[in-house]
Amino acid sequence: MNITDSKDKNNRAYDAIVIGAGNGGLVAAARVAMKGAKVLLLEQHNLPGGFASSFVRGRFEFETSLHELYDYSTPENKGGIRILFEDRLNIDADFVPVPEAYRLIVTNPDEKMDVVLPFGVEDFIQAVEKEVPGSEDSVRKFFQLGKEIDEATTYIGKMRGNPDQDVLLKEHTNFLRTAAYPIDDIQDALNIPERARAILNAYWLYLGVPTSRVNTTVFAAMVHGYILKGAYIPKMRSHEYTSAIEAKIREYNGDVEYNSKVQRILVNKGKVMGVQTNKGEIINTNHVICNASPTLTYNNLIHPKSEVPEIAFKQINARTHGVATIVVYMGLDTTAEKLGLKDYSYFICDTMDTDQLYDSLINLEVPKVQATLCLNNAIPDCSPPGTCIISITSAFRPGAWDNVNPEEYFDVKTKIADGLIENFEKATGVQIRDHIEEIEVATPQTFSRFTGTYNGVIYGYELESWDSIIPRLQSMNDEKYIEGLEFCGGFGKRGHGYSSSLKDGETAALFTIQSLMKEGVIK
Amino acid sequence: MNQKKEKDLDITIKSTSRDLLAFMKLSANRKKRFEKASSDPIKSDPMNELATKLHPIRQYLVIESIKDETKTTKTFRLVADNESGTNELAYFRPGQYLSLKVNVNGIEITRPYSIASSPKDTLKGFYEVTIRKEENGFLTSYIWENWKVGTKIESSGPEGFFYFDRLRDSKQIVGIAGGSGITPFRSIAKAITEGIIDAKLTLLYGSSDEEDIIYYNEFKDLEKENPDKLKIIYILSCEVVSLEGCEQGFITANIIKKYCNIANSTFFLCGPQIMYNFVEKELIQFNLPLKRIRREAFGEVKDVLDLPNFPQELAEKSFKMTVHIGEVTKEVPALVTESLIVAMERAKLAPPSKCRSGECGFCRSLLISGDVYVNPVSDWRRAADKKFGYIHPCSSYPLSDIEIKVPRKKVN
Repeated sequence: MNITDSKDKNNRAYDAIVIGAGNGGLVAAARVAMKGAKVLLLEQHNLPGGFASSFVRGRFEFETSLHELYDYSTPENKGGIRILFEDRLNIDADFVPVPEAYRLIVTNPDEKMDVVLPFGVEDFIQAVEKEVPGSEDSVRKFFQLGKEIDEATTYIGKMRGNPDQDVLLKEHTNFLRTAAYPIDDIQDALNIPERARAILNAYWLYLGVPTSRVNTTVFAAMVHGYILKGAYIPKMRSHEYTSAIEAKIREYNGDVEYNSKVQRILVNKGKVMGVQTNKGEIINTNHVICNASPTLTYNNLIHPKSEVPEIAFKQINARTHGVATIVVYMGLDTTAEKLGLKDYSYFICDTMDTDQLYDSLINLEVPKVQATLCLNNAIPDCSPPGTCIISITSAFRPGAWDNVNPEEYFDVKTKIADGLIENFEKATGVQIRDHIEEIEVATPQTFSRFTGTYNGVIYGYELESWDSIIPRLQSMNDEKYIEGLEFCGGFGKRGHGYSSSLKDGETAALFTIQSLMKEGVIK
Repeated sequence: MNQKKEKDLDITIKSTSRDLLAFMKLSANRKKRFEKASSDPIKSDPMNELATKLHPIRQYLVIESIKDETKTTKTFRLVADNESGTNELAYFRPGQYLSLKVNVNGIEITRPYSIASSPKDTLKGFYEVTIRKEENGFLTSYIWENWKVGTKIESSGPEGFFYFDRLRDSKQIVGIAGGSGITPFRSIAKAITEGIIDAKLTLLYGSSDEEDIIYYNEFKDLEKENPDKLKIIYILSCEVVSLEGCEQGFITANIIKKYCNIANSTFFLCGPQIMYNFVEKELIQFNLPLKRIRREAFGEVKDVLDLPNFPQELAEKSFKMTVHIGEVTKEVPALVTESLIVAMERAKLAPPSKCRSGECGFCRSLLISGDVYVNPVSDWRRAADKKFGYIHPCSSYPLSDIEIKVPRKKVN
C-alpha cells in the first residue's frame, strides 16, 4: 500500500484520529471533539478504557487495575482530575473517597511492622511519629518538600513549560536542588529514620522503581498529593468513567470504533497522512494522537519504516520499560466485616528494601511484595450483600514471563496466585481461601492480550531522575519526530498512573488543537 | 508556626551549586544518554506471542476424522488447517469451548461447542467436539449433511469459564451432565487421568435411554484405569433400564446423596436448561454455598416465552431493527422471540458472537434507541454498560423498533 492510496477521495477522512481508548486516548479524543474537530477513536478491544476497565464473573464485577485515583480530591477543593472530569469534560460518573491511606505490613522479623496510615498530612505525620518516635520533624520536612515540588510543577505548568529561571531560583529552590536525585538521597539528607522511611516509601510499587533510583520530583509529590488530597475510586469500577467519556465523545460527533486495530500510521516526508487498520482500510488524517507507547509505535506502526528517525529507536532503547503486573481477583462469599478486614488498601512485603524487592521481580516466583485491596471497604455495595471483593496486585519486570509456554501457563499463574493469597493470609491472619466463590488471575500475558501493550508492561518507562517528568517536559518539543503525531498515556511526558495518563491526554489534545487552529481546520 | 517551619526547609544533597547544576544539566544529560543508546528496533514481544498462542482471535481448522458415537451424535476431530494459516492449536483449560463458525447458505452463524478432548491432545495436534443432531435443528442438520473429512471450519480460541480451579474448587468434583452436556466432562476426565487436574470426579450422567449414552465404553476404560479418581453413574429416564450399574429416573437429591460427598464437593453442571431447572431445585435442600455450584452457560435460549417477565403479549410481533455495523447501516426485521444476534445473522450482518448466553460480552453493542428485553438469568453486563445503554445482543430481545451500533468482528 503506498501513500498516494491514502489520498484516494473514497477514503474516509478525519481532522484527527486517536489510536487507543485508554485513559489518555479517551480524554484526548473528547477534548479534540469538543473543540469541533471531526475525530475518530480507534480501539482494538471491544471496550473503552485499556487498563481502566472492569469484568464480570458470576455475581461480581471486578476493577481491572485502578487502586486509587490520584489528584481527584473533594468538591470544595477540586484536584486536577476532578476539574477535568467535572468542569472540562462534564461526564456522568460517580467517585467515592478511599477511607484511609494504607496499611503497611512488613513481615520479616528484623523489620516487622503493621501500621495503618491515615490521609491528612498532619495525621499522617503523627501516625508515623507514634510508630517511630523522633521522626516527626524529618517526616514533616519531607512533606514540605512534596508541597514545594507541587507548587513548582504547577508554576512550570502555568508557564507552559517555559518558567522564568529567576523565579525558579528564588521561589522553588528545594524543587531545583532535588530534581536530579533519587528519593534515597533526599531521605538521607533529611535524616529520616529507617523505619519512618519504610512507612513513607510504601507507595513505591505505584511507580515500580526502587527508592535508590526513583526520581524525587515524582515520588515526593505523589506521596504528598495522596496524603494531602486523599484518593478516590469510581463507584461502578473504571468502566463507568471510561464509558462516560466515550459517551461524551459521541455527543460531540466523534466516532468511536471498537475491534479496530491500527496496523500502520502512514507517514510521508515526516508528516502523518493517515492510518491503516487491520481490516485493510485506509483513513486519511494529518493528526494522530497515539495512546500506544513509543515502543510499539516506532517499532511496529509507523509506515514506511524509513520514516522512523534513528533517534526514536535510541530513545526507546535508552530507557527501561516499567513493570508488568499480576492481579488475583477474588469474589468472596463472606463480608469484609466478618473476615475482620477493616482497611481498603494493604501494602504487604517481606522487606522495605525496595532494591531487593525490585531485583526479585525478574524471577518467575511468588513476589515478596503485594498491594491488596478490599473494595467493599471503600464501596460497601460493590458486591451483593454477604460478599466482598479482594484483589491482590503484584509486579514482574518485563522478561520474567518470557519463557512461559502455553501448556504451563495456567499452572504457573495459579501457583503464583496461590502464593500471593498465602502471603496475604499470613500477614493479616485472615483466612480467605475457603470463601473464594470467583477467582480470576491476570498476568502480563492478560494485559498484553486485552490492550496490546508491549510485553505486557502496564507502567511506562521507568521514572529515574535522568528521565523523570522534568527533563521529559523540558524536551517534549524537541522530541516530535513526525509532524502531526502526538503521544499520550502512561508512556508519556508525565509518566504512568491513571491521573498522569488522563492529564497527558489533555496535553496531547491541546497540541493537536493548536495545530488544527493554525491550519484553519477549527476556530 | 508552620509558616516559619516551611521557610526553614533548605535541602542540600551535594552542595547548593552542584545540586543546581545537576538540575540544569538534566535535559542535556538525557539527550546524551539517548544518543549513546542502540538504534536497533525491538523485534520481539514475548507476552504478545504468548497471548496470540493462548487466545488466537481465529483458528482455522479442518476435519481430520468423524466418529459416530450414538445414533444422533458424532465426534469430529479437528486439526490445524495449515493452508489457511493456523499451525498450532491453542492450549486450553478442560471445560472450555470453541465457538465454531458455520456458513449455512450464506448465513454466517456461530455456536459454542465444549472441547471434548484433553489439553494434551491439543499438543498432539487435535481438538475433538461431539455434536448432537437436534430434531428439526437448522444448524445441526446442515452439519450432518455437509461436514465431511476435509471440511474446513473456522473457530475462535478456547473460551469460557467452566473449568476446575484448584484455588476455588473442592478437589472432589461432582459433574452433573445431561445429554450432550457430557462433552466437557470427557475433557475434564481425561485431564484428571493425565495428571493435569489434581482432583476426583464423580459423574452423574443423565440420558433418555441406553442408546443415547455418549462415550460409554471410553468412560468405562477411563474408570478402570483410575478407579480412585473417576466414577460414573448413568441415570436413564426411560421406563426400563437393563444396563448394569444404571439408575432409572432423573438426577434427584436422593441419587446425589447416594453417590456423592455433598458437603465436600464442588458441583459442575452442564446440560439443557430443563436439566438446570430440575437439578438446581434438587440441590436446594443441601443448602450449598453458591460457590459450590458451577454452571456452564446456557447457550442459545430455546423457550424464550418461559423466561421471567417476558412480555407474552408481544410474542407474535416483529420489529424493525436498524443496525450500524462498521460503515454499513441496514434495516432488518427482528422477531420478539429471537435474540438480536439471530436477527442480525439472518440478515447476513455477521455480528461478533461467542458464548450466545450473555456471558462473554463479545457481542456488546450500543442501543441507540428503542427497548429490549434482557434475559435476567443471563444478564452478565457491567453495571456501567447498563447505565450507558450497552447490551449483549445474544441475550436481548426487541420490544419496539430499535437502533443499535454493533462492532465489527476482530480480525487477526
